[in-house]
Amino acid sequence: MTSIGTGYDLANSIFSPDGRNFQVEYAVKAVENGGTSIGIRCKEGVVLAVEKIITSKLLKPNANKRIATVDRHLGIVYSGMIPDGRHFVDRARDEARAWRDTFKTPIATADLASRMGGYMQAYTLYQSVRPFGITAIIGGFDPSTDLPVDGEVGRGPSCGAGGKVPGKTFGGPGLYMIEPSGLYWGYYGAATGKGRQAAKAELEKLDLAGPGGESLTLEQAVKEAARIIYVAHDDNKDKDFELEMTWISGPDGPTKGLHQEVPRALREEAERLAKKALESDDEDEDGKMEE
Amino acid sequence: MFRNNYDNDSVTFSPQGRIFQVEYAAEAVKQGSVVVGIASKTHVALVAIKRNAEELSSYQKKLFPIDEHVGIAIAGLTSDARVLSNFMKQQCLAHRLTYGRSMPVRTLVDMIGSKAQINTQHYGKRPYGVGLLVAGVDDHGPHLFEFQPSGMTEEMVAFAIGARSQMARTYLEKNLDKFADCDREELIRHGLKALKESLVQDRELTVDNTSVGVAGADKAGVVEPFKVYDGQEVSAWIESVADDKEAAPAGGSGEGETMEVDS
Repeated sequence: MTSIGTGYDLANSIFSPDGRNFQVEYAVKAVENGGTSIGIRCKEGVVLAVEKIITSKLLKPNANKRIATVDRHLGIVYSGMIPDGRHFVDRARDEARAWRDTFKTPIATADLASRMGGYMQAYTLYQSVRPFGITAIIGGFDPSTDLPVDGEVGRGPSCGAGGKVPGKTFGGPGLYMIEPSGLYWGYYGAATGKGRQAAKAELEKLDLAGPGGESLTLEQAVKEAARIIYVAHDDNKDKDFELEMTWISGPDGPTKGLHQEVPRALREEAERLAKKALESDDEDEDGKMEE
Repeated sequence: MFRNNYDNDSVTFSPQGRIFQVEYAAEAVKQGSVVVGIASKTHVALVAIKRNAEELSSYQKKLFPIDEHVGIAIAGLTSDARVLSNFMKQQCLAHRLTYGRSMPVRTLVDMIGSKAQINTQHYGKRPYGVGLLVAGVDDHGPHLFEFQPSGMTEEMVAFAIGARSQMARTYLEKNLDKFADCDREELIRHGLKALKESLVQDRELTVDNTSVGVAGADKAGVVEPFKVYDGQEVSAWIESVADDKEAAPAGGSGEGETMEVDS
Protein backbone atom coordinates (compact mmCIF):
# COMPACT_ATOMS: atom_id res chain seq x y z
CA MET A 1 0.00 0.00 0.00
CA THR A 2 1.42 3.36 -1.04
CA SER A 3 0.09 5.10 2.05
CA ILE A 4 2.50 3.37 4.40
CA GLY A 5 5.48 5.47 5.44
CA THR A 6 3.96 8.79 4.37
CA GLY A 7 2.74 9.50 7.89
CA TYR A 8 -0.74 10.44 6.75
CA ASP A 9 -2.13 7.12 7.94
CA LEU A 10 -0.99 7.33 11.55
CA ALA A 11 -3.83 9.40 12.96
CA ASN A 12 -7.56 9.58 12.46
CA SER A 13 -9.17 12.64 10.79
CA ILE A 14 -6.00 13.47 8.84
CA PHE A 15 -6.38 14.01 5.11
CA SER A 16 -3.64 12.80 2.80
CA PRO A 17 -2.64 15.20 -0.04
CA ASP A 18 -5.00 13.38 -2.38
CA GLY A 19 -7.92 13.75 0.02
CA ARG A 20 -8.18 10.38 1.71
CA ASN A 21 -8.57 9.45 5.37
CA PHE A 22 -6.48 6.31 5.66
CA GLN A 23 -7.59 5.41 9.17
CA VAL A 24 -11.16 5.07 7.88
CA GLU A 25 -9.92 2.88 5.04
CA TYR A 26 -8.07 0.69 7.55
CA ALA A 27 -11.26 0.41 9.62
CA VAL A 28 -12.94 -0.98 6.51
CA LYS A 29 -10.22 -3.64 6.44
CA ALA A 30 -11.30 -4.73 9.94
CA VAL A 31 -14.82 -5.20 8.58
CA GLU A 32 -13.59 -7.23 5.64
CA ASN A 33 -12.11 -9.82 8.02
CA GLY A 34 -15.37 -10.37 9.93
CA GLY A 35 -18.06 -12.99 9.35
CA THR A 36 -20.55 -12.24 6.57
CA SER A 37 -23.76 -10.35 7.40
CA ILE A 38 -26.63 -9.84 4.99
CA GLY A 39 -30.05 -8.21 4.86
CA ILE A 40 -32.88 -8.85 2.39
CA ARG A 41 -35.79 -6.48 1.96
CA CYS A 42 -38.93 -7.76 0.28
CA LYS A 43 -42.50 -6.54 0.12
CA GLU A 44 -43.62 -8.39 3.26
CA GLY A 45 -40.66 -7.47 5.45
CA VAL A 46 -36.94 -7.75 6.12
CA VAL A 47 -34.63 -10.68 6.91
CA LEU A 48 -31.25 -10.28 8.62
CA ALA A 49 -28.68 -13.08 8.71
CA VAL A 50 -25.12 -13.52 9.94
CA GLU A 51 -22.44 -16.15 9.61
CA LYS A 52 -20.88 -16.71 13.05
CA ILE A 53 -17.49 -18.39 12.70
CA ILE A 54 -16.92 -20.89 15.53
CA THR A 55 -13.52 -19.83 16.86
CA SER A 56 -13.46 -22.47 19.61
CA LYS A 57 -15.17 -25.78 20.30
CA LEU A 58 -15.67 -24.58 23.86
CA LEU A 59 -18.16 -21.87 22.85
CA LYS A 60 -21.68 -22.63 24.06
CA PRO A 61 -23.72 -23.47 20.94
CA ASN A 62 -26.47 -20.98 20.01
CA ALA A 63 -25.81 -18.88 23.12
CA ASN A 64 -23.90 -15.91 21.70
CA LYS A 65 -26.39 -13.85 19.69
CA ARG A 66 -25.09 -11.35 17.15
CA ILE A 67 -28.29 -9.75 15.82
CA ALA A 68 -29.65 -7.16 18.23
CA THR A 69 -33.15 -5.81 18.70
CA VAL A 70 -32.99 -2.03 19.00
CA ASP A 71 -36.68 -1.27 19.22
CA ARG A 72 -39.79 -3.44 18.81
CA HIS A 73 -39.63 -3.13 15.04
CA LEU A 74 -35.87 -2.67 14.47
CA GLY A 75 -32.91 -5.01 14.23
CA ILE A 76 -29.19 -4.48 13.65
CA VAL A 77 -26.58 -6.92 12.43
CA TYR A 78 -22.93 -6.07 11.90
CA SER A 79 -19.61 -7.42 10.62
CA GLY A 80 -16.17 -6.57 11.94
CA MET A 81 -15.08 -5.83 15.49
CA ILE A 82 -17.82 -7.27 17.67
CA PRO A 83 -17.24 -5.08 20.76
CA ASP A 84 -17.55 -2.02 18.48
CA GLY A 85 -20.81 -3.46 17.19
CA ARG A 86 -22.18 -3.84 20.71
CA HIS A 87 -21.35 -0.21 21.45
CA PHE A 88 -23.07 0.81 18.21
CA VAL A 89 -26.17 -1.16 19.19
CA ASP A 90 -26.20 0.42 22.67
CA ARG A 91 -26.18 3.84 21.04
CA ALA A 92 -28.93 2.84 18.58
CA ARG A 93 -31.09 1.73 21.54
CA ASP A 94 -30.50 5.10 23.20
CA GLU A 95 -31.52 6.88 19.99
CA ALA A 96 -34.67 4.78 19.60
CA ARG A 97 -35.68 5.42 23.20
CA ALA A 98 -34.93 9.13 22.98
CA TRP A 99 -37.04 9.38 19.83
CA ARG A 100 -39.99 7.74 21.56
CA ASP A 101 -39.59 10.07 24.54
CA THR A 102 -39.48 13.16 22.33
CA PHE A 103 -41.96 12.39 19.58
CA LYS A 104 -44.24 9.85 21.27
CA THR A 105 -43.89 7.57 18.26
CA PRO A 106 -41.45 4.78 17.33
CA ILE A 107 -38.45 5.87 15.27
CA ALA A 108 -38.65 5.16 11.54
CA THR A 109 -35.94 2.92 10.07
CA ALA A 110 -34.71 5.78 7.85
CA ASP A 111 -34.47 8.12 10.83
CA LEU A 112 -32.48 5.63 12.88
CA ALA A 113 -30.14 5.10 9.93
CA SER A 114 -29.65 8.86 9.72
CA ARG A 115 -28.95 9.22 13.44
CA MET A 116 -26.53 6.28 13.48
CA GLY A 117 -24.85 7.43 10.26
CA GLY A 118 -24.19 10.74 11.97
CA TYR A 119 -22.83 8.98 15.05
CA MET A 120 -20.48 6.83 12.99
CA GLN A 121 -19.28 9.86 10.99
CA ALA A 122 -18.44 11.76 14.18
CA TYR A 123 -15.83 9.11 14.96
CA THR A 124 -13.93 10.04 11.76
CA LEU A 125 -13.63 13.71 12.75
CA TYR A 126 -11.30 13.68 15.74
CA GLN A 127 -7.78 12.49 16.47
CA SER A 128 -8.92 11.53 19.97
CA VAL A 129 -11.01 8.61 18.74
CA ARG A 130 -10.80 5.91 16.10
CA PRO A 131 -13.47 5.04 13.54
CA PHE A 132 -15.78 2.09 14.18
CA GLY A 133 -14.39 -1.20 12.88
CA ILE A 134 -17.82 -2.35 11.75
CA THR A 135 -20.30 -2.08 8.92
CA ALA A 136 -23.84 -2.28 10.27
CA ILE A 137 -27.04 -3.35 8.53
CA ILE A 138 -30.25 -1.90 9.97
CA GLY A 139 -33.56 -3.56 9.17
CA GLY A 140 -37.00 -2.42 10.24
CA PHE A 141 -40.68 -2.35 9.42
CA ASP A 142 -42.39 0.97 9.93
CA PRO A 143 -46.14 0.78 10.62
CA SER A 144 -48.47 2.37 8.08
CA THR A 145 -50.76 3.49 10.87
CA ASP A 146 -49.80 5.30 14.05
CA LEU A 147 -49.33 2.97 17.00
CA PRO A 148 -50.29 4.13 20.45
CA VAL A 149 -47.23 4.94 22.51
CA ASP A 150 -46.81 5.26 26.28
CA GLY A 151 -47.28 8.87 27.29
CA GLU A 152 -49.05 9.83 24.07
CA VAL A 153 -51.06 13.04 24.42
CA GLY A 154 -53.64 13.79 21.71
CA ARG A 155 -52.81 13.38 18.05
CA GLY A 156 -51.39 15.51 15.25
CA PRO A 157 -53.26 16.82 12.20
CA SER A 158 -54.86 14.11 10.07
CA CYS A 159 -53.35 15.46 6.86
CA GLY A 160 -50.97 18.15 5.59
CA ALA A 161 -47.84 19.31 7.42
CA GLY A 162 -47.07 16.94 10.31
CA GLY A 163 -49.88 14.58 9.26
CA LYS A 164 -50.65 11.92 6.72
CA VAL A 165 -51.38 12.82 3.11
CA PRO A 166 -54.65 11.18 2.02
CA GLY A 167 -54.18 8.53 -0.65
CA LYS A 168 -50.45 8.13 -0.03
CA THR A 169 -49.06 4.98 1.60
CA PHE A 170 -46.75 5.26 4.59
CA GLY A 171 -44.41 2.91 6.40
CA GLY A 172 -43.26 -0.47 5.14
CA PRO A 173 -39.97 -2.37 5.20
CA GLY A 174 -36.64 -0.54 5.40
CA LEU A 175 -33.05 -1.73 5.01
CA TYR A 176 -29.94 0.43 5.44
CA MET A 177 -26.22 -0.28 5.56
CA ILE A 178 -23.78 2.06 7.37
CA GLU A 179 -20.02 1.99 6.70
CA PRO A 180 -17.18 3.07 9.05
CA SER A 181 -17.05 6.44 7.25
CA GLY A 182 -20.64 7.11 8.30
CA LEU A 183 -21.82 6.74 4.72
CA TYR A 184 -25.13 4.94 4.44
CA TRP A 185 -27.53 3.93 1.69
CA GLY A 186 -30.89 2.23 1.56
CA TYR A 187 -30.78 -1.26 0.04
CA TYR A 188 -32.97 -3.94 -1.43
CA GLY A 189 -30.31 -6.46 -0.46
CA ALA A 190 -27.19 -5.66 1.55
CA ALA A 191 -24.07 -7.69 2.32
CA THR A 192 -20.86 -7.03 4.27
CA GLY A 193 -17.99 -8.95 5.83
CA LYS A 194 -15.62 -11.54 4.43
CA GLY A 195 -18.01 -13.19 2.00
CA ARG A 196 -19.68 -10.00 0.76
CA GLN A 197 -18.62 -10.41 -2.90
CA ALA A 198 -20.21 -13.82 -3.26
CA ALA A 199 -23.22 -12.71 -1.22
CA LYS A 200 -23.73 -9.59 -3.36
CA ALA A 201 -23.60 -11.68 -6.55
CA GLU A 202 -26.33 -13.95 -5.14
CA LEU A 203 -28.43 -11.00 -3.94
CA GLU A 204 -28.28 -9.42 -7.39
CA LYS A 205 -29.62 -12.62 -8.94
CA LEU A 206 -32.76 -12.27 -6.79
CA ASP A 207 -33.63 -9.07 -8.71
CA LEU A 208 -35.03 -7.51 -5.53
CA ALA A 209 -35.29 -4.06 -7.13
CA GLY A 210 -37.42 -5.41 -9.99
CA PRO A 211 -40.19 -8.01 -10.22
CA GLY A 212 -38.11 -10.43 -8.08
CA GLY A 213 -38.64 -8.25 -5.02
CA GLU A 214 -42.36 -7.96 -5.67
CA SER A 215 -42.91 -11.71 -5.78
CA LEU A 216 -40.49 -12.86 -3.06
CA THR A 217 -42.36 -13.86 0.08
CA LEU A 218 -40.82 -13.34 3.52
CA GLU A 219 -40.48 -17.08 4.02
CA GLN A 220 -38.68 -17.39 0.67
CA ALA A 221 -36.45 -14.50 1.70
CA VAL A 222 -35.49 -16.42 4.86
CA LYS A 223 -34.54 -19.44 2.76
CA GLU A 224 -32.58 -17.28 0.31
CA ALA A 225 -30.76 -15.57 3.19
CA ALA A 226 -29.72 -18.95 4.61
CA ARG A 227 -28.57 -20.14 1.18
CA ILE A 228 -26.58 -16.96 0.54
CA ILE A 229 -24.76 -17.25 3.89
CA TYR A 230 -23.89 -20.85 3.02
CA VAL A 231 -22.68 -19.82 -0.46
CA ALA A 232 -20.65 -16.93 0.97
CA HIS A 233 -19.06 -19.26 3.52
CA ASP A 234 -18.01 -21.80 0.92
CA ASP A 235 -14.69 -20.10 0.19
CA ASN A 236 -13.34 -20.67 3.69
CA LYS A 237 -15.05 -23.93 4.48
CA ASP A 238 -12.27 -25.05 6.81
CA LYS A 239 -13.91 -23.32 9.77
CA ASP A 240 -17.34 -24.25 11.09
CA PHE A 241 -20.02 -21.63 11.49
CA GLU A 242 -23.40 -21.03 13.06
CA LEU A 243 -26.22 -19.30 11.18
CA GLU A 244 -28.28 -16.72 13.03
CA MET A 245 -31.35 -15.17 11.38
CA THR A 246 -34.01 -12.68 12.39
CA TRP A 247 -37.00 -11.26 10.54
CA ILE A 248 -39.47 -8.40 10.68
CA SER A 249 -42.86 -8.56 8.98
CA GLY A 250 -45.70 -6.05 8.83
CA PRO A 251 -48.52 -6.11 11.42
CA ASP A 252 -50.38 -8.75 9.37
CA GLY A 253 -47.33 -10.99 8.89
CA PRO A 254 -45.82 -13.76 11.05
CA THR A 255 -43.97 -11.42 13.45
CA LYS A 256 -46.80 -8.86 13.73
CA GLY A 257 -44.48 -5.93 13.09
CA LEU A 258 -41.85 -7.06 15.59
CA HIS A 259 -38.16 -7.88 15.13
CA GLN A 260 -37.79 -11.51 16.16
CA GLU A 261 -35.50 -14.48 15.73
CA VAL A 262 -36.60 -16.77 12.89
CA PRO A 263 -38.35 -19.79 14.51
CA ARG A 264 -36.05 -22.75 14.92
CA ALA A 265 -38.09 -25.08 12.68
CA LEU A 266 -38.02 -22.62 9.79
CA ARG A 267 -34.32 -21.90 10.23
CA GLU A 268 -33.44 -25.58 10.22
CA GLU A 269 -35.57 -26.14 7.12
CA ALA A 270 -33.83 -23.19 5.44
CA GLU A 271 -30.42 -24.61 6.38
CA ARG A 272 -31.36 -28.03 5.04
CA LEU A 273 -32.39 -26.48 1.71
CA ALA A 274 -29.21 -24.35 1.66
CA LYS A 275 -26.99 -27.40 2.09
CA LYS A 276 -28.97 -29.24 -0.59
CA ALA A 277 -28.61 -26.30 -3.01
CA LEU A 278 -24.86 -26.19 -2.39
CA GLU A 279 -24.49 -29.92 -3.00
CA SER A 280 -26.36 -29.79 -6.30
CA ASP A 281 -24.21 -26.80 -7.31
CA ASP A 282 -21.09 -28.81 -6.61
CA GLU A 283 -22.42 -31.71 -8.65
CA ASP A 284 -23.09 -29.39 -11.58
CA GLU A 285 -19.54 -28.10 -11.44
CA ASP A 286 -18.13 -31.60 -11.24
CA GLY A 287 -20.23 -32.58 -14.26
CA LYS A 288 -18.83 -29.70 -16.29
CA MET A 289 -15.30 -30.60 -15.29
CA GLU A 290 -15.78 -34.15 -16.58
CA GLU A 291 -17.13 -32.89 -19.88
CA MET B 1 14.20 2.16 14.41
CA PHE B 2 10.45 2.53 13.98
CA ARG B 3 9.59 -1.01 13.08
CA ASN B 4 5.96 -0.48 13.76
CA ASN B 5 4.27 2.90 14.06
CA TYR B 6 0.80 1.52 14.47
CA ASP B 7 1.14 0.09 17.97
CA ASN B 8 1.56 3.18 20.15
CA ASP B 9 -2.08 3.78 21.08
CA SER B 10 -5.48 2.18 20.91
CA VAL B 11 -6.92 4.68 18.40
CA THR B 12 -4.74 3.72 15.44
CA PHE B 13 -5.66 1.01 12.99
CA SER B 14 -2.86 -0.85 11.23
CA PRO B 15 -3.19 -1.12 7.42
CA GLN B 16 -4.62 -4.60 7.99
CA GLY B 17 -7.34 -3.20 10.24
CA ARG B 18 -5.82 -4.42 13.50
CA ILE B 19 -5.35 -2.48 16.75
CA PHE B 20 -2.06 -3.62 18.20
CA GLN B 21 -2.54 -2.08 21.65
CA VAL B 22 -5.57 -4.30 22.15
CA GLU B 23 -3.63 -7.34 20.96
CA TYR B 24 -0.79 -6.52 23.34
CA ALA B 25 -3.28 -6.23 26.19
CA ALA B 26 -4.41 -9.75 25.33
CA GLU B 27 -0.79 -10.82 25.84
CA ALA B 28 -0.93 -9.48 29.41
CA VAL B 29 -3.66 -12.05 30.09
CA LYS B 30 -1.22 -14.79 29.09
CA GLN B 31 1.26 -13.55 31.73
CA GLY B 32 -1.18 -14.36 34.51
CA SER B 33 -1.41 -17.82 36.05
CA VAL B 34 -4.00 -20.16 34.63
CA VAL B 35 -7.67 -20.27 35.61
CA VAL B 36 -10.26 -22.79 34.43
CA GLY B 37 -14.04 -22.64 34.38
CA ILE B 38 -16.64 -25.32 33.55
CA ALA B 39 -20.42 -25.25 33.50
CA SER B 40 -22.79 -28.21 33.77
CA LYS B 41 -26.59 -28.26 33.76
CA THR B 42 -26.62 -27.69 37.52
CA HIS B 43 -23.33 -26.08 38.56
CA VAL B 44 -20.55 -23.83 37.40
CA ALA B 45 -17.05 -24.17 38.83
CA LEU B 46 -13.93 -22.02 38.70
CA VAL B 47 -10.51 -23.36 39.65
CA ALA B 48 -7.23 -21.45 39.72
CA ILE B 49 -3.52 -21.67 40.38
CA LYS B 50 -2.28 -18.95 42.72
CA ARG B 51 1.24 -17.52 42.53
CA ASN B 52 3.47 -16.20 45.29
CA ALA B 53 6.16 -13.61 44.64
CA GLU B 54 8.65 -15.49 46.80
CA GLU B 55 8.74 -18.44 49.19
CA LEU B 56 7.82 -16.44 52.28
CA SER B 57 5.13 -14.23 50.73
CA SER B 58 1.45 -14.93 50.55
CA TYR B 59 -0.33 -16.06 47.39
CA GLN B 60 -2.17 -13.60 45.10
CA LYS B 61 -5.91 -14.25 45.10
CA LYS B 62 -7.39 -15.41 41.80
CA LEU B 63 -11.08 -15.91 42.56
CA PHE B 64 -13.38 -13.15 43.73
CA PRO B 65 -17.04 -13.31 44.75
CA ILE B 66 -19.06 -10.51 43.09
CA ASP B 67 -22.55 -11.10 44.39
CA GLU B 68 -24.44 -14.04 45.92
CA HIS B 69 -24.83 -15.65 42.52
CA VAL B 70 -21.70 -14.54 40.63
CA GLY B 71 -17.95 -14.94 40.97
CA ILE B 72 -14.96 -14.25 38.75
CA ALA B 73 -11.55 -15.75 38.05
CA ILE B 74 -8.82 -13.42 36.81
CA ALA B 75 -5.68 -13.70 34.71
CA GLY B 76 -3.51 -10.67 34.02
CA LEU B 77 -3.16 -7.34 35.83
CA THR B 78 -4.74 -7.82 39.25
CA SER B 79 -5.24 -4.09 39.79
CA ASP B 80 -7.26 -3.83 36.58
CA ALA B 81 -9.28 -6.81 37.72
CA ARG B 82 -10.10 -5.02 40.96
CA VAL B 83 -11.49 -2.05 39.02
CA LEU B 84 -13.76 -4.38 37.04
CA SER B 85 -14.62 -6.40 40.13
CA ASN B 86 -15.66 -3.29 42.08
CA PHE B 87 -17.74 -2.13 39.12
CA MET B 88 -19.47 -5.50 38.88
CA LYS B 89 -20.19 -5.56 42.62
CA GLN B 90 -21.72 -2.09 42.42
CA GLN B 91 -23.85 -2.96 39.39
CA CYS B 92 -25.12 -6.13 41.06
CA LEU B 93 -26.07 -4.24 44.21
CA ALA B 94 -27.75 -1.48 42.22
CA HIS B 95 -29.74 -4.10 40.33
CA ARG B 96 -30.86 -5.70 43.58
CA LEU B 97 -31.92 -2.30 44.91
CA THR B 98 -33.87 -1.39 41.77
CA TYR B 99 -35.42 -4.70 40.79
CA GLY B 100 -35.37 -6.64 44.06
CA ARG B 101 -33.65 -9.65 42.51
CA SER B 102 -30.24 -10.74 41.34
CA MET B 103 -28.83 -9.54 38.03
CA PRO B 104 -28.86 -11.94 35.05
CA VAL B 105 -25.26 -12.99 34.38
CA ARG B 106 -25.37 -12.04 30.69
CA THR B 107 -26.49 -8.50 31.59
CA LEU B 108 -23.58 -8.12 33.98
CA VAL B 109 -21.05 -9.43 31.49
CA ASP B 110 -22.35 -7.13 28.74
CA MET B 111 -21.79 -4.19 31.09
CA ILE B 112 -18.09 -4.87 31.54
CA GLY B 113 -17.87 -5.57 27.81
CA SER B 114 -19.20 -2.10 27.00
CA LYS B 115 -16.95 -0.55 29.61
CA ALA B 116 -13.85 -2.22 28.17
CA GLN B 117 -14.75 -1.35 24.57
CA ILE B 118 -14.64 2.37 25.32
CA ASN B 119 -11.01 1.98 26.43
CA THR B 120 -10.15 0.70 22.95
CA GLN B 121 -11.65 3.62 21.05
CA HIS B 122 -10.49 6.76 22.89
CA TYR B 123 -7.07 8.38 22.94
CA GLY B 124 -5.40 8.53 26.35
CA LYS B 125 -7.11 5.40 27.55
CA ARG B 126 -5.64 1.92 27.49
CA PRO B 127 -7.37 -1.44 27.26
CA TYR B 128 -7.74 -3.45 30.48
CA GLY B 129 -4.81 -5.84 30.85
CA VAL B 130 -6.88 -8.61 32.34
CA GLY B 131 -9.03 -11.49 31.19
CA LEU B 132 -11.90 -12.83 33.26
CA LEU B 133 -13.94 -15.96 33.56
CA VAL B 134 -17.32 -14.99 34.95
CA ALA B 135 -19.32 -17.78 36.58
CA GLY B 136 -22.85 -17.34 37.81
CA VAL B 137 -26.35 -18.72 38.15
CA ASP B 138 -29.64 -17.07 37.25
CA ASP B 139 -33.17 -18.03 36.15
CA HIS B 140 -31.72 -19.79 33.11
CA GLY B 141 -29.34 -21.94 35.18
CA PRO B 142 -25.55 -21.86 35.42
CA HIS B 143 -23.47 -19.73 33.05
CA LEU B 144 -19.79 -19.33 32.23
CA PHE B 145 -18.52 -16.30 30.30
CA GLU B 146 -15.11 -15.30 29.06
CA PHE B 147 -14.17 -11.62 29.02
CA GLN B 148 -11.23 -10.30 26.96
CA PRO B 149 -9.44 -6.91 27.08
CA SER B 150 -10.97 -6.06 23.67
CA GLY B 151 -14.41 -6.01 25.30
CA MET B 152 -15.31 -9.32 23.67
CA THR B 153 -17.53 -11.45 25.88
CA GLU B 154 -18.66 -14.95 24.95
CA GLU B 155 -20.60 -17.64 26.75
CA MET B 156 -18.61 -20.88 26.98
CA VAL B 157 -19.29 -24.45 28.09
CA ALA B 158 -15.80 -24.57 29.58
CA PHE B 159 -12.71 -22.41 29.16
CA ALA B 160 -9.22 -21.66 30.44
CA ILE B 161 -7.19 -18.45 30.27
CA GLY B 162 -3.71 -17.49 31.45
CA ALA B 163 -0.19 -18.91 31.10
CA ARG B 164 -0.03 -22.23 29.24
CA SER B 165 -3.83 -22.36 29.23
CA GLN B 166 -3.83 -24.02 25.79
CA MET B 167 -2.99 -27.34 27.48
CA ALA B 168 -5.99 -26.97 29.78
CA ARG B 169 -8.23 -26.04 26.85
CA THR B 170 -7.12 -29.15 24.99
CA TYR B 171 -8.17 -31.24 28.02
CA LEU B 172 -11.52 -29.43 28.14
CA GLU B 173 -12.14 -29.95 24.41
CA LYS B 174 -11.40 -33.66 24.80
CA ASN B 175 -13.93 -34.04 27.63
CA LEU B 176 -16.45 -31.47 26.40
CA ASP B 177 -19.35 -33.90 26.02
CA LYS B 178 -19.13 -35.11 29.62
CA PHE B 179 -19.55 -31.75 31.34
CA ALA B 180 -23.29 -31.18 30.87
CA ASP B 181 -24.27 -34.12 33.10
CA CYS B 182 -21.49 -33.83 35.67
CA ASP B 183 -22.42 -33.39 39.32
CA ARG B 184 -20.77 -30.75 41.49
CA GLU B 185 -17.81 -32.90 42.57
CA GLU B 186 -17.12 -34.32 39.10
CA LEU B 187 -17.14 -30.82 37.68
CA ILE B 188 -14.53 -29.60 40.15
CA ARG B 189 -12.39 -32.67 39.49
CA HIS B 190 -12.49 -32.02 35.74
CA GLY B 191 -11.45 -28.44 36.47
CA LEU B 192 -8.50 -29.53 38.57
CA LYS B 193 -7.43 -32.08 35.98
CA ALA B 194 -7.51 -29.38 33.29
CA LEU B 195 -5.49 -27.15 35.61
CA LYS B 196 -2.87 -29.88 36.06
CA GLU B 197 -2.36 -30.05 32.30
CA SER B 198 -1.13 -26.47 32.37
CA LEU B 199 1.33 -26.89 35.23
CA VAL B 200 5.06 -26.64 34.56
CA GLN B 201 7.01 -29.83 35.08
CA ASP B 202 8.11 -29.60 38.72
CA ARG B 203 4.98 -27.93 40.12
CA GLU B 204 1.87 -29.57 41.47
CA LEU B 205 -1.43 -28.66 43.04
CA THR B 206 -1.18 -27.96 46.78
CA VAL B 207 -3.60 -26.62 49.37
CA ASP B 208 -1.63 -23.37 49.27
CA ASN B 209 -1.69 -22.67 45.55
CA THR B 210 -5.13 -23.96 44.55
CA SER B 211 -8.46 -22.13 44.70
CA VAL B 212 -11.90 -23.52 43.88
CA GLY B 213 -15.14 -21.58 43.43
CA VAL B 214 -18.60 -23.04 42.85
CA ALA B 215 -22.14 -21.81 42.28
CA GLY B 216 -25.11 -24.01 41.59
CA ALA B 217 -28.79 -24.25 40.78
CA ASP B 218 -30.29 -27.63 41.59
CA LYS B 219 -33.32 -29.12 39.86
CA ALA B 220 -35.80 -27.40 42.17
CA GLY B 221 -34.30 -24.11 41.05
CA VAL B 222 -32.67 -23.39 44.40
CA VAL B 223 -29.38 -21.57 44.03
CA GLU B 224 -26.16 -22.55 45.75
CA PRO B 225 -24.47 -19.21 46.32
CA PHE B 226 -21.03 -18.65 44.81
CA LYS B 227 -18.40 -19.61 47.35
CA VAL B 228 -14.61 -19.69 47.17
CA TYR B 229 -12.69 -22.53 48.81
CA ASP B 230 -9.04 -22.19 49.78
CA GLY B 231 -6.44 -23.97 51.90
CA GLN B 232 -7.51 -27.13 53.73
CA GLU B 233 -11.00 -26.85 52.19
CA VAL B 234 -9.61 -27.96 48.83
CA SER B 235 -7.34 -30.78 50.07
CA ALA B 236 -9.91 -33.53 49.48
CA TRP B 237 -10.42 -32.42 45.88
CA ILE B 238 -6.68 -32.28 45.22
CA GLU B 239 -6.24 -35.77 46.63
CA SER B 240 -9.15 -37.08 44.58
CA VAL B 241 -7.49 -36.07 41.31
CA ALA B 242 -4.10 -37.31 42.51
CA ASP B 243 -5.55 -40.80 43.05
CA ASP B 244 -6.62 -41.01 39.42
CA LYS B 245 -3.04 -40.54 38.33
CA GLU B 246 -1.83 -43.28 40.64
CA ALA B 247 -4.44 -45.66 39.33
CA ALA B 248 -3.19 -45.11 35.79
CA PRO B 249 0.58 -44.63 35.93
CA ALA B 250 0.96 -46.29 32.53
CA GLY B 251 1.47 -42.92 30.87
CA GLY B 252 5.04 -42.93 32.15
CA SER B 253 5.28 -39.17 31.72
CA GLY B 254 6.86 -36.66 34.10
CA GLU B 255 3.58 -36.46 35.97
CA GLY B 256 3.91 -40.09 37.02
CA GLU B 257 7.23 -39.34 38.65
CA THR B 258 5.90 -36.49 40.72
CA MET B 259 3.24 -38.78 42.11
CA GLU B 260 5.81 -41.03 43.78
CA VAL B 261 6.74 -38.18 46.07
CA ASP B 262 3.20 -38.13 47.41
CA SER B 263 3.06 -41.83 48.25
